[in-house]
Amino acid sequence: MRIAVTGIGVASGLGYGKAAFLQGLFETRGVFSELTRHGREPAGGEPPFVGVELDEPPNVLPARLARTATLSSRVAMAVLQEAWRDAGLDQVDPERIGLVVGSSNPMSREQALAAQRYADKLEFVPPRHGHMFLSSDIAGLCTSVVPIRGFSQSVDAASASGSVAVIQAMDAVRSGRVDVCIALGALQDLSGYDLHAMRSLGVMGGADHAARPGEACRPMDLAHNGFIYGEASAALVLMRKDLSMSHKSYGDLIGAGHVADGSRGPEPNSEGQVRAALNALAQAGLTAKQIDFVNGHATGTPQGDFEECRTYHSLELHHARINATKSIVGHGMSAAGALELAAVLLQIKEGRLHPTRNLENPIDESFDWVKAEPVSHEIRHTLKFSFGFGGINTALVIAAP
Amino acid sequence: MGSPLDNTEIINILIEEIRETVPELEGQPISASDSMVDLGVNSIERSEVILAAMERLDLKIPMVQMHGPKNIQELADLLLVKSAG
Repeated sequence: MRIAVTGIGVASGLGYGKAAFLQGLFETRGVFSELTRHGREPAGGEPPFVGVELDEPPNVLPARLARTATLSSRVAMAVLQEAWRDAGLDQVDPERIGLVVGSSNPMSREQALAAQRYADKLEFVPPRHGHMFLSSDIAGLCTSVVPIRGFSQSVDAASASGSVAVIQAMDAVRSGRVDVCIALGALQDLSGYDLHAMRSLGVMGGADHAARPGEACRPMDLAHNGFIYGEASAALVLMRKDLSMSHKSYGDLIGAGHVADGSRGPEPNSEGQVRAALNALAQAGLTAKQIDFVNGHATGTPQGDFEECRTYHSLELHHARINATKSIVGHGMSAAGALELAAVLLQIKEGRLHPTRNLENPIDESFDWVKAEPVSHEIRHTLKFSFGFGGINTALVIAAP
Repeated sequence: MGSPLDNTEIINILIEEIRETVPELEGQPISASDSMVDLGVNSIERSEVILAAMERLDLKIPMVQMHGPKNIQELADLLLVKSAG
């Protein structure tokens, strides 16, 4: 069964909404700077963290709810509302609509701040803290405001959470459980603790780029030295193709692969990546030869980029154009898979591929990278990768509508 | 709290916390004879208001001892009694 994407809502360093996102992607507007959100201060003597922070989300919640909602939840509501209106979901029976939120430790920063604030006076911990830091609170808040009555849940697949949310939503529509399912990649609000741990783990870059933050994020470039965090969130409305005829469609999801490779930590695994891609292609009834555009996971960690290039080699993707959305907006962590799928769909609609920022000397010249300039490209079949810590590999195949 | 508490001070703190918790009550007068239930403050929010007030008053009273008061006045009276030990 083909599944159409009929609504998109996005938030990234480029702004709120599709228009700002699309314009920023093609202009590769610089959005990287020192992280200044409270709770992200580096340890004394350590260089500041570099990345992307969102503007305050638009006020879509009643004040009474907004004050009890975390940043992740408030941003989720903003992207959900945009996607909801885009798809005209007020016309659909609420019991036929589902919601899958992809999230991974989504409120870590605010929870750490709360733990500090109440460390020596636990008696006064506000009761709302008993539910508002649960990942399920994002779906809880969303369904308390928006009429979604089919089902709601959150799924955690680390940095593949957004992509796994899409895959779960596809399954929910295919199985007939619902006719419409919204996949939402939630903002992962990293704390200073998380940032230090990621830096210590050797996966996060930017420690040498405090003076030139715009040059820190460089997926697939020889000078890459780790991913750069970028706050983000995105919502996608998935609908049964046969029911979506009266709706506009950005593109169709025609194949998905999701496999475990047996790694526990951050180690990438090309064999798992290839298996995910082959599963997705088989489901789509396509071969890799028919893929004309690849949107990589491409985080900018040396090991991850090299391993992903091994995957492109195994699949013989030398003919396809390839770009990396993280080069422009940073690594959205649990939101990345959903945000980057939104980027793919908007590029299909535009018939153009966005540049890959800072890709000056590709680690492998045998591929057809989109470098500093956007290119016109009639995109028919896209392969989109997303991977997560814990040995999680996903691939999606997207067809032009 | 430096000076000894009085009832009016506690009432004012409770009303401030009610307004903080339910911003939609802005512009609506709130008096000591009002009950939080009648003002539309839900049960989680009522606990939030009482805990926030206790934090400001530096009163550590188990929440189970805070049931009973019918309005803001009675709640303030109870807090005053508890604060006196």
